[in-house]
Amino acid sequence: MAEHKILTEFEGIKDSRSLKTYLKHGGYQALAKAFQKKPEEIVALVKESGLRGRGGAGFPTGLKWSFIPAHIKERYLLCNNDEGEPGTFKDRYILELSPHMLIEGMIISAFAIGAHKAYIYTRCEFYEEIKWMNEAIDEAYKAGYLGKNILGSGFDFDLDHYIGAGAYICGEETGLISSLEGKKGQPKVKPPFPAVAGYLGKPTIVNNTETLAVVPWIVNHGASAYKAIGTEKSAGTKLFCISGPVKKPGVYEVPLGYPLKDFIEKEAGGLRDGVELKGVIPGGLSAPVLLPEEVEKVTLDYESMASFKSMLGSGAIIVIPKTQCMVELLKVTLDFYHHESCGQCTPCREGTGWLANIMKTVMQAKAKEDCYDKMYEVASHMEGRTICALSDAAAMPTKAIITKFKSELLNYLRRG
Amino acid sequence: MGTVETKEEVTFKLNGIDVTVPKGTTVMAAAKREKVAIPHFCWHPGLSVAGVCRFCMVKVKGRPKLEISCNLEATPGMEVDTVSDEVKDSHKWALEFHLANHPLDCPICDQAGECGLQKYYMSVGKYNSQMTEEKVLKPKALDVGDKLVLDTERCILCSRCVRFENEVTKTGGLGIFDRGDRAIIGTYGDEKITHNYQENLVDICPVGAFTSKEFRFKQRVWFLKEKSSICPGCSTGCAVSIHAKPEMETYFRVKPRYDKKVNGHWMCDKGREILSGLDKKERLENSYLQDQDEFSTCERPDMINHLNSLLSRFRGKKISLLVSAQYTNEEYERLFSFFVEKMGVRSIFQWRSKEEKLNDFDGILLRGDRNPNTRGLLDALRKFHILKEVENEFEACLTSSSDLIFAFSPLLSSSFSSFEEDLARLSKLKSCVCLFTTSYQARDYIGFNSLIPLVSFPEKTGHYTNYKGEKRELEGAYPSFIHEGFDVCELVNELDSNIKASLRA
Amino acid sequence: MMIFSEALKEKIRSYLERYETKRSAILPVLHEIQKEFTYIDDEHILTLEKDFGLNRVHVREVVTFYSAYLTEKPKKFRILFCDSVSCHIEGTQKVMAKIEDFMSSYKKKEKELPFSLEGVPCLGVCGGAPAMFVNEDRYLNVSCDNVEAILKKYDH
Repeated sequence: MAEHKILTEFEGIKDSRSLKTYLKHGGYQALAKAFQKKPEEIVALVKESGLRGRGGAGFPTGLKWSFIPAHIKERYLLCNNDEGEPGTFKDRYILELSPHMLIEGMIISAFAIGAHKAYIYTRCEFYEEIKWMNEAIDEAYKAGYLGKNILGSGFDFDLDHYIGAGAYICGEETGLISSLEGKKGQPKVKPPFPAVAGYLGKPTIVNNTETLAVVPWIVNHGASAYKAIGTEKSAGTKLFCISGPVKKPGVYEVPLGYPLKDFIEKEAGGLRDGVELKGVIPGGLSAPVLLPEEVEKVTLDYESMASFKSMLGSGAIIVIPKTQCMVELLKVTLDFYHHESCGQCTPCREGTGWLANIMKTVMQAKAKEDCYDKMYEVASHMEGRTICALSDAAAMPTKAIITKFKSELLNYLRRG
Repeated sequence: MGTVETKEEVTFKLNGIDVTVPKGTTVMAAAKREKVAIPHFCWHPGLSVAGVCRFCMVKVKGRPKLEISCNLEATPGMEVDTVSDEVKDSHKWALEFHLANHPLDCPICDQAGECGLQKYYMSVGKYNSQMTEEKVLKPKALDVGDKLVLDTERCILCSRCVRFENEVTKTGGLGIFDRGDRAIIGTYGDEKITHNYQENLVDICPVGAFTSKEFRFKQRVWFLKEKSSICPGCSTGCAVSIHAKPEMETYFRVKPRYDKKVNGHWMCDKGREILSGLDKKERLENSYLQDQDEFSTCERPDMINHLNSLLSRFRGKKISLLVSAQYTNEEYERLFSFFVEKMGVRSIFQWRSKEEKLNDFDGILLRGDRNPNTRGLLDALRKFHILKEVENEFEACLTSSSDLIFAFSPLLSSSFSSFEEDLARLSKLKSCVCLFTTSYQARDYIGFNSLIPLVSFPEKTGHYTNYKGEKRELEGAYPSFIHEGFDVCELVNELDSNIKASLRA
Repeated sequence: MMIFSEALKEKIRSYLERYETKRSAILPVLHEIQKEFTYIDDEHILTLEKDFGLNRVHVREVVTFYSAYLTEKPKKFRILFCDSVSCHIEGTQKVMAKIEDFMSSYKKKEKELPFSLEGVPCLGVCGGAPAMFVNEDRYLNVSCDNVEAILKKYDH
């Protein structure tokens, strides 16, 4: 899929992270262009491009930006670089290839929304990536892309890098805000939404790394060029990261709407020899698993995934081989959510623990056969009942695995 | 907080019925006003919205998901449903989740009978629990304050107590540590909460996590009667209810009542101590007459006669009143209309604590004036053309060379650090001193001419006027345990009618 | 009384001034303390309150909420092995069992064990599953065949 290298433009290029290389390839030209426009024109441009949030929810980016109340001038832009959804490693790739692309995207986005301060929030386990990002920020400050009166535009903008401390929930935008405020990373009750009252109660836009990194391209090439890629409702390209028993696990950029089957076959080189497909989790751990027959038909875009009752999510494609025990997979899944629930909302705090506990009894051969029905019911009552989507994220894969692999789960119990 | 004061109003439908509320009101607050019960744990009208218990779900017509009503602003035309099967199912399950790791130790829990979990199980639960797995165990019976015991296993992590510490006392003494179902409420390490508002944590805890050291295991709450009163502990005059078991002739505890202009939802721990002097064993139970350096009891009519004869005997001599600021407006009115108007007494002294720091204020509720009715006393005096400032006139009374002193003692000796010293000095006066009091300690001071037992504040009707002029009623709902006790108004009425009779005669 | 080094105090002060509110400094400050002491104890937290004005309850909430902060002294080498879904599919359990075998050999030799092993949530490098960290060193495609050699590098 060489024709659309937007986010992966710097793949294979030597010293790709340096400012020198970035500039050599036209870096920071979009910024100069953006400064020729009015902020609201950039918001309109991004709206028009059809860009949707690449963190998982797929909310239209330009629309999100337009929610900021005009009368409050202190605003913040936050980059969600907390990449924690199991199976996801695509934002890391942007840092590996071209942190300046993210910085440029952030300056333009901040200019568009009228923010003069931004933070990149990165998970603490990205030791190397944090260093790369910090180096790029230093370079950008030295070259005058950050700081006062950028490129003579009169626009002042500061960018800082904030490091998390090991909590999946900080990938939720208001959890991230709480964390940045120096608190437990607990999501905030909505309304108010962060665009109205976010970081320190000020209007705040939280965008995913990939979302922000694509903004320079849109400014350079125009909204219609971006919209021309992908499907009607899912514009542009997206980074998909594939893991599991395929020949070439990794991150690949394809236009939205690309068939999942082709992605596995052509991009990832197909399954490793001797591996048979049991299913695919298409959008990170929270996305309901797809069976091989569904994998044949589904395409990588928001609508197609929804029609198969799953989701595009973060674009993390996890391939499950036939040999994988689904009881174990369900246990691993639920242990994760149990570990990561922030504990604030009762249905999630108690529900994630309860589900993980039932799986423990399954593994210990202490469970009754109706335990899966109970799990299904518990999961159903965790959905749509909490401040953030972690509860749903635990419930959805649980229900999907129970529905799609019920006989295997029951056999596990009968085998004892 | 549930309600924002504005003049603008909105009308929305609550279970099909039009409800009009000020703009900014949440559905929860509106429902509470309309007496539509929406189950909730974390919401408290005196605290910020946490929105974490996820219990108060309602359905808004046309919106896909159920929503929490505590954070849902009522908007014009909104149609809210709190009773559909979908909503009821959500309530039932919210409760099931709350109980999943709850120890269900009601038989040994002091909260039983006033526990949100129990109450809601009966109103919205009544399911067969599906929770058969092992529960998370957490520390129990922790000593976290002079007044508090904490059971973290019973805690449902509603965060009311944390918000109270942050928003009301601003002491930030509590936190929720760890995360997920390991999350645990507590102080820092083994620190104790030491402020004067600890018992509010017990009040707002919807379950048995915080219990009161003072009240624990004393009585099952369903045996208690609850009557409205006003705290006499300081000049704020918090609205309270007094919980007692009349058949045991025992008062058990004081809880705050909501009074927007006076105390909001809270009261201080000092105010909870007002019951300490009300125990029967600490009360003066009978009338006493001094006779040859001994007190002997007498019947009520004998005491009336005795007082009347004193008034006759001392007619034309200097009669004084020494009055504390712990009586009701009605009592002052009755006292002064008799003594000032009828008996011509002009010599009235305020009896105040020697060590009071009148202008002290803790920034929340407790005031340095530890009398509930300083304002009422001065107002009443003014009505009878006696103009006074707040001042302790005890010394002046002692040196006033009065012949007869009717001394109306403080009813809460706890707010008078100098009470016993005052009694000692008063009893040694050459004057004839009649002491009207509730305290049994008076019997130790033999110099008094007579001791007249009074009923105390939970047992009498009337009003206090607080420091800023708010008048509040004491409902006086409990029959006095002190059967020989006098109500000041009735006592004065009798003196008055006897005087009339004697004048006629 | 554990005393912060001058360099650490300087870092703490700079973090306290760096953000819009002092409270935002809590996470980075805790990272710095842990870097210096390998874990965070009550003394550190109380010093943060006393000398730097950070509320002890707030700090303790943060310390206990986030997995990255340790409240007890760790072993010299912490092995963090991803046990989320992609790594699990690619053999986490087997490799972790292998590591445990390796660690139990210390017991047999009555040598002090410099390692600890923990299963941790997704590390964000699933393309190289299974993934693990030994302290801050990341290893990808860890297998039963290569894991011992990796660990032996640390304790030789």
